[in-house]
Amino acid sequence: MTSLQTRAATVEARGAPGRVPTARRPRRWRGWAGGAAALAVVALASTFITYGLGALGDANPAAAVLGETATPADIARMSHEFGLDRPFLEQYVTWLGHALTGDLGRSWFTQIPVAESIAERLPVDLSITGLAVLIAVLAGGAAGIGAAVSNGGRFDRIVTAVCALASTLPAFVAGIGLIVVFAVIVPVFPSGGYVPPGEDPVQWLRLITLPAVALSLDTAADLARQLRTGLVAALRENYVTGAVVRGLPARRVLLRHALRNAAGPAITVLGVHIPRLIGGAVVTEAVFALPGLGQLTGEAALKHDVPVVQGALLATIALVLVSNLVVNGVVARLRGAR
Amino acid sequence: MTSFSRAWRLPSVKLSLGILAVVLLVAVFGGWLAPYDPIAQNPRLRLLGPSGEHLLGTDYLGRDVLSRLLAGAGLSIAGAVEAVAVGLVLGAVPGLASIFFGRGFEWATARVADALLTLPFVIFAIAVAGIVGNGLHQAMAAIGLLLAPVFYRVTRTAALSFTRAQYVEAAELLGASRSRILRTHIVGKVLPTIAVTAAGASAAALLVVSSLSFLGIGVEPPAPTWGGMLASDLGYLHQRPLAPLAPALVIMITVGALNALADAVRDTTGLHTESEELHVR
Repeated sequence: MTSLQTRAATVEARGAPGRVPTARRPRRWRGWAGGAAALAVVALASTFITYGLGALGDANPAAAVLGETATPADIARMSHEFGLDRPFLEQYVTWLGHALTGDLGRSWFTQIPVAESIAERLPVDLSITGLAVLIAVLAGGAAGIGAAVSNGGRFDRIVTAVCALASTLPAFVAGIGLIVVFAVIVPVFPSGGYVPPGEDPVQWLRLITLPAVALSLDTAADLARQLRTGLVAALRENYVTGAVVRGLPARRVLLRHALRNAAGPAITVLGVHIPRLIGGAVVTEAVFALPGLGQLTGEAALKHDVPVVQGALLATIALVLVSNLVVNGVVARLRGAR
Repeated sequence: MTSFSRAWRLPSVKLSLGILAVVLLVAVFGGWLAPYDPIAQNPRLRLLGPSGEHLLGTDYLGRDVLSRLLAGAGLSIAGAVEAVAVGLVLGAVPGLASIFFGRGFEWATARVADALLTLPFVIFAIAVAGIVGNGLHQAMAAIGLLLAPVFYRVTRTAALSFTRAQYVEAAELLGASRSRILRTHIVGKVLPTIAVTAAGASAAALLVVSSLSFLGIGVEPPAPTWGGMLASDLGYLHQRPLAPLAPALVIMITVGALNALADAVRDTTGLHTESEELHVR
């Protein structure tokens, strides 16, 4: 063995990142299985934190509902009714089991099933988050592609400057700015409120446009920057030169060849942003007086309505995990397609 | 230390440190600097525009906006600092420990970090405030807990790169104890990374504090906060459409200065810290 080889061997033995060749199994399936297992652990841990919160506070349904007048007998009776007199782990497992079947318990105050309240409020947040993603993809995508094509030109510089500004603007501040401009100074949009799309689709779109734009700024800016960087790099690759030399039209080279390779990191950026969009929707909905999940949670929190708060938190965790899974799937497919 | 002095030479670092020094001074002495009582109501002087007497005008209860802005700095900054301190301790300590306490500990802490990263800041803080009690400390502890995974990962990554260094191996061979290696060879090297992360985390925490006080979580209403001022201005936009400008600018300038500082130190020291998770989610 030469000295170099010995050195390599000792590095290997020390546990440096040496790859052990594995048997040929389809990599994608292994990746999915590993991802699912990790997801299950993460879901278990985050729901445990959520449920554990309830035990941390000594909030009690009888004390919360009846206030000062609650007698010890009331407290014991209601604790038993809500299952709060059982061991903590047993309560958690029961709660999680019920949650998996869509039963999140009942509000301590109104007795309305928590799942029902959430199902009523969630469409509001999904509307503004969904439209925000759409705006971010369209506006950020167009800006990023345009900037990459005009690399170094005036449009590129404008996009870079606008992106720098947009990514420092928090959604709720941007929302207030949009209200000032588009609802007060030039009143073209309503400043707040909500109508379900089934009732009046046009008014629904008018009402969710400003919140969605406010929410989308940060994501659109990041997407545009990532896409620009990726495309500029891809356009320098040999296969692009080759495609151009073969006489393929520029549009086709840009959209089919270069964009496909630049899109992967951009979609990863979108995945990183989805939790932020869901979190940001809560504050944005308050700016625009939208009756969403944030309002439900805030009202329940001020009343110490523990099951509602836990359910709302669980719903957001589920949203984040599911959207992560979808984005991972899309990225994996894009990689496989190459 | 050389990297910090190199960063100091950049104009952007001087500017942001200057801004932050002013903000910090205002946070500490804002109550004394305020020309009027920030919670004194004056119904005859409601919603006035800027004038010589009230430089930034008055709000819907006739309170002086400049005074509220100055006095509100304290709560907003203190909240952000508290959250970052909690996050630093809860993140950096397990981050360092995960390297030495074996794979089981490492696996468990990494999974907890993953789980905490799925929780959105504002909703979680609202939930904690609702269940544990509606106070600034409860809300900030919650935010600190969610900032912890960032510190955990950054510390761990930075420390790992140094534990593989030859001088650490040499120290091990010479029989130095783990805690001695940690104290003398690793903690000092990890500190710049932690400092950069703390600056970025402060920016994120300040945004969350502003969002929460905007929503009325963590702070009782009459007390002035930057976010709370935005919320009360929102109801009177038709009378004073430009009123939210002052608190919004103050929040954005402070956040911008913190981010610029973190970026500049990161660039000059050549540190590669993850900044993705530092955003408010």
